[in-house]
Amino acid sequence: MRKLTCRLTVLILGIFLMGIAAGPAAIAADKFPSKPIELVVPFSAGGSTDVMARLVAKFAPKYFDQPLVVVNKPGGGGITGTEGVVRSTPDGYSLFVGYGSGHDLVTPHFQKLPYDTFGDLVPVSRISVHSIVAVVRSDAPYKTLKEFVAWGKKKDQVTAAVSTKAGSVDITFQALAKASGVKIVTIPFKGGADAVRTILGGQTDIGGNHPSEVMSHIKAKRLIPVGVALEERDPSLPDVPTFKELGYDVVTVGSVKGVAAPKGTPPEVVKYLAERFKKVCEDKEFIAAMTEIGQPVMYQGPQEFGKYLKDGFNTYGKLIKEFNIKME
Amino acid sequence: MGELFGIFQGLADGFGIAFSLNNLLFALLGALLGTMVGILPGLGPSATISLLLPLSFKIGSPVSSIIMMAGIFYGAMYGGSTTSILVNIPGEAASVVTCIDGYQMAKKGRAGPALGIAAIGSFIAGTIGVIGLTFVAPPLAEFALSFGPPEYFSLTLLGLLMATLIGGDSVVKGLIMVVAGLLMGSVGLDPISGAIRFTWGIHMLQEGIDFVTMAMGLFGIGEILFNLERVLKTNLVTQKITHLWPGLKDWADSKWAIIRGSFIGFFIGILPGGGAVISSLASYAVEKKVSKNPQEFGKGAIQGVAGPESANNAAASASFIPLLTLGIPGNAAIAMIFAALLIQGVTPGPFLISEKPDIFWGVIASMYIGNAMLLILNLPLVGVWVQLLRVPYSILAPVIVLFCCVGVYSARNSAFDIWVMGVFGVIGYFLRKLDFEAGPMILAFVLGPILENGLRQSLLMSAGSPLIFITRPISGSLIAILVFFILTQVVYRLTWKKPGAPSGC
Repeated sequence: MRKLTCRLTVLILGIFLMGIAAGPAAIAADKFPSKPIELVVPFSAGGSTDVMARLVAKFAPKYFDQPLVVVNKPGGGGITGTEGVVRSTPDGYSLFVGYGSGHDLVTPHFQKLPYDTFGDLVPVSRISVHSIVAVVRSDAPYKTLKEFVAWGKKKDQVTAAVSTKAGSVDITFQALAKASGVKIVTIPFKGGADAVRTILGGQTDIGGNHPSEVMSHIKAKRLIPVGVALEERDPSLPDVPTFKELGYDVVTVGSVKGVAAPKGTPPEVVKYLAERFKKVCEDKEFIAAMTEIGQPVMYQGPQEFGKYLKDGFNTYGKLIKEFNIKME
Repeated sequence: MGELFGIFQGLADGFGIAFSLNNLLFALLGALLGTMVGILPGLGPSATISLLLPLSFKIGSPVSSIIMMAGIFYGAMYGGSTTSILVNIPGEAASVVTCIDGYQMAKKGRAGPALGIAAIGSFIAGTIGVIGLTFVAPPLAEFALSFGPPEYFSLTLLGLLMATLIGGDSVVKGLIMVVAGLLMGSVGLDPISGAIRFTWGIHMLQEGIDFVTMAMGLFGIGEILFNLERVLKTNLVTQKITHLWPGLKDWADSKWAIIRGSFIGFFIGILPGGGAVISSLASYAVEKKVSKNPQEFGKGAIQGVAGPESANNAAASASFIPLLTLGIPGNAAIAMIFAALLIQGVTPGPFLISEKPDIFWGVIASMYIGNAMLLILNLPLVGVWVQLLRVPYSILAPVIVLFCCVGVYSARNSAFDIWVMGVFGVIGYFLRKLDFEAGPMILAFVLGPILENGLRQSLLMSAGSPLIFITRPISGSLIAILVFFILTQVVYRLTWKKPGAPSGC
């Protein structure tokens, strides 16, 4: 009896581990797409990238010949899931959604990744840009960025809630500190939701987030958006001035949310995908739904998108160098 | 008065919505699915809800889809205890602590009462939680917002003190486990400095060790490995199954544990960040502390099942409060429901109750119905599950391993996690052999990161002054309770030794 138990247990474990080693076999396709296309989100379900991917998947049947299926592969701050796509068969059936996130534009400045963010991935389409918006509590003694700076200058230090250490929001606030002359101490949290909570609760003086994370609180008039760190105003927050307009020269690309395929994907497949994503991005209902949740649709095709990402990567590199930001 | 009337009016409308045939079916479907994923180890409510998200667009009505998703979430809290009790494998993160005494009860032939009391406690606590959600949601949500880093630090410090209570007989072994838990909790990216700790260059470890994966390895796989080397009887139950249902004595023993668990679960559940897990651990510690026979814990005390299983259900209901009233998702499963609402074009927040009362009240009303459905669903299942223990272990064990592998893989679509579970299985095996208790390690693992981040974030806020923990009212009160607690222990020890204490030891 005991022997049998042992054997069966080992057998089942063995089958599993073999399955892991072998991986999925490549299936030759006749005409692309001949089966559903996977949208790999390297973050948890429910996050902003995930919501975007699911909205794209929801509208896709109108424009794609096969359904798009969202698969979450969270872990390693996005690196794990992205690596999975990089190592997959370059046939266009496994796409990385979220190309241009922190682990693409910021992390490589601090840490060596197991793949080359630009060399191993082919840009397909930019879907949206998540700006970095500075928000304050609506009952705080300051209602604009100017007022905040005037208030902050009288203090020894003020606190800013940011979603991750040395992430795009952290870098933006450190740059703002330098540009405004206020001693801003950034307090990192584990993700945007935690950071927002402390701004709402009044434990931190100001905070930065992507609009999708604060939209509901802005609508509820609990938070006031005071500035956006983009070159131009964010279409989802058209009334909010940029830092640049306010006289603080802090411009980033925020967090870019695009689609990428592994290196070696046939050009005609990339072309097909880019065309169809463009159609989704032109869908009026899709645009309305995305704007509503604070993720404005900002489509770009493969070439433009690739250049935009490189620029964004270099901007962060410059800021990190300029402000001597380090990970310990 | 008018406010109360408004609540009853809203609730009445909500029942009108929830009692429609369509929504009743979705509530039942959610409850069924929830029970199932609760039972399947590793596969949790958030993974299930994310799998079902595409389906929710097809349902069309946001109310119906949210009713179903909510059902999956709190239904999983019912099902989670089943495998904890039967085979020592937590079906759900919030049922990890149920393994400790639940499994011991099963080994003594008392699986039936354990499962029964878990279902009844879940129902009572779930209903208390929904009542709280109905009447005091908005003010409580505001209260939860006043919990910042200093408050979390003080609260978890109090919690860690409890960790020393839930261990076994040996204080030294308990402390070793606490330290091991703290160390394991620090694996991954340090959120404050951005430093990468203890990952050996493995990117999968950057976000830390997954709690469910670790618990399944430690408890479940460890137990199976331990059993493999013994000459096994053909089935798990070493004694005759005497009672299928909890008896009057069981009920008398556990009724206060259920009530206490409900309130602990409700209040901790409002706080974002793993409310159900922490509240189940807190409830276990409290039950052990207030029990007249603390030595019974770890050997099959029914309070050790009733308390935590009630707490996690109350916490599940309570975690809807910040979502529905402030638009703040407090845990992974609630974040999925948040995303589902967004995709349906509904933004949860303070306006939900006035702009979409059908969703607000419809979902709340459905939770009363869903809890009743779950009780009716789960009680007859007790008999079925107990029969499962008659399956020869030579068949049961490999099947369990199979389900564990599938479950762990499905949580993050990651094969790496299966290896992690295997490693913890081996660790669990040695802990069993060397007679170490996993409880304190689990608690320290959960609380350690919250404690560390709270401390460092607070000190950043105060420019290094520790006074921040005392000067803020809530944090200060918590610290006062902590000091009072330690002082009473000291005084108790001192006075207890005085009258004619035997010399020596």
